[in-house]
Amino acid sequence: MAIEKKYIVDTTLRDGEQSPGINFTLREKIAIAKTLDSLGVSRIEAGVPAMGKEECHAFEKIKLSCKKSEIVAWNRMNLNDIQASLDCGADIIHVCVPASALMIKEKLHKSNEAILEMIEVCAEHIQKFNKMFSIGLEDASRADWTFVEQIIKKASSLKASTIRFADTVGILTPRTCNQTINRIDTAMDLEIHMHNDLGMAVANSVSGTIAGAKYIDCTLFGIGERAGNCNLEHFLEVLDGHYDFGISLEDLRQHQNKLKNIIFKNQKNQPVF
Amino acid sequence: MAVIIDRTLAKIDSDTMVPRDLIHFCELLFTCGVTKIEATPQVLYKIQEFISVGSPLLFNQTKTCFLTIEHGTWKIESNKLIEKNLEFIQIQNLQSEKVRLIGLENLLTQDYETIFHDLINSGAQYLDLCPSNHKHCATAIALEWLLMGGQSISCSFASCNDDANLEEILMALKINGKSGLVGDLSVLRELKNIYEKITGEQIPEKKAVIGAGIFKVESGIHVDGVLKNPLIYEPFSPESVGNKREIVLGKHSGQQSVIYKMRELNLSESGVSTILFQLKEHCSKVGKSFSDLDLLTLVSEVNNGY
Repeated sequence: MAIEKKYIVDTTLRDGEQSPGINFTLREKIAIAKTLDSLGVSRIEAGVPAMGKEECHAFEKIKLSCKKSEIVAWNRMNLNDIQASLDCGADIIHVCVPASALMIKEKLHKSNEAILEMIEVCAEHIQKFNKMFSIGLEDASRADWTFVEQIIKKASSLKASTIRFADTVGILTPRTCNQTINRIDTAMDLEIHMHNDLGMAVANSVSGTIAGAKYIDCTLFGIGERAGNCNLEHFLEVLDGHYDFGISLEDLRQHQNKLKNIIFKNQKNQPVF
Repeated sequence: MAVIIDRTLAKIDSDTMVPRDLIHFCELLFTCGVTKIEATPQVLYKIQEFISVGSPLLFNQTKTCFLTIEHGTWKIESNKLIEKNLEFIQIQNLQSEKVRLIGLENLLTQDYETIFHDLINSGAQYLDLCPSNHKHCATAIALEWLLMGGQSISCSFASCNDDANLEEILMALKINGKSGLVGDLSVLRELKNIYEKITGEQIPEKKAVIGAGIFKVESGIHVDGVLKNPLIYEPFSPESVGNKREIVLGKHSGQQSVIYKMRELNLSESGVSTILFQLKEHCSKVGKSFSDLDLLTLVSEVNNGY
């Protein structure tokens, strides 16, 4: 019997590069993206086009260099950001939606109603360009569940292809992750995005995958904000033989090793995640 | 009350270690919430003057012993745990035994909740879980065992014996409402320093909970968030683990980061937009962060119209 297929979304070039001390030049970004593409990574989150001219240029080059991977552009809920991503030719427009009260009230000073309205405005703009889009629930693990459900319902009604559940500050455990992912009732594809603040990004990603997530966000060497994201190699090691991710672990190790000098070129104390 | 055993000193080569450092390391382990310290006879022999109660015979055996603390007094007790691998045993055969379960690296891909339930109800006299970190999930396995009511776990600082990470488990317990099991975690930085000294190993910058660089923040969105309320992007405060936050400038920086840095360096806040634009462009081209010295130079250039 064929084993179930699941898919990797690599965010080395977006969340990974946000890690202080990690900075890629245009050529380095393209080298990493081409490697990920050749390895069989389904989706590459290649950056944030709203950051400016250099980032857009890199994004366009990555898009041209990759043969199979779909290229994802990360956006705030902001039409200018989204337009920059559309102009760069992204395959998928990812819109990050703050989901917890802490994010909505204290960071954005907005109401839940305003967030739902902004999702609608963003989605309608993307649809004019006939682009696939995903909705990310930022800080979903600390969010009020009723509001999480409202965002999911809204995203579904607006025909988003994917819902990304983010454990933004890495506080889930495998059990709470499993319970949470199981609670999500939607026909949209489910994606998970785990952080490693308590050393459990891999364990939680494993748990979320078993609970039903179809897309799993990872980075090379687990680089990312604070203590990092889910380490792609480690994640695949745990689930080797359980699912088909379309990536050979052996190839990944070989190619990842070649990229080590690019990724950690500025690091004195090279991380060993 | 659950038991947390630290095994950092159970496999360590203590030949070159000085007693003062070992004693300080043990003091800090007890301070952050460790119940028992498992150590080699060589380690215990080195710190024997500090141990009030325990048979001298224990120093002469080949097996590790446990160091415990009671009302400030350090005691030594023998290690009677029998190590067994869960893969090769029947749970019902554990009755009345004092067991340490080892291996367990694949537990998360199995029905671990049922396995934990069966273990807890096995009738074992003492059941310690010591998961291997071979598959990078030991912290999660040890934590779930304790959260489900497990009696005892074994781990080590920074996973040095390929065990679960002590510091991650303690912080995860605190965040998951089990503060009663945790001591003062602000000593973790000091514990890290002394660990690096006695082992000669450097803890990676981004190591969860204890990495020196985990509170560095560059992204404009994140800087904006932590300046409004640190809890927005930090699950625990830097101070709670003896660390401090640092705003780093780079290609992902936003205006708030530049203003923050200029204030920190007592610089005039004029020309922020130009400075931000130029520093981002520079960082993108060279693929590096922007140091304080770089900022001082750029501010001077912009203000002098170069």
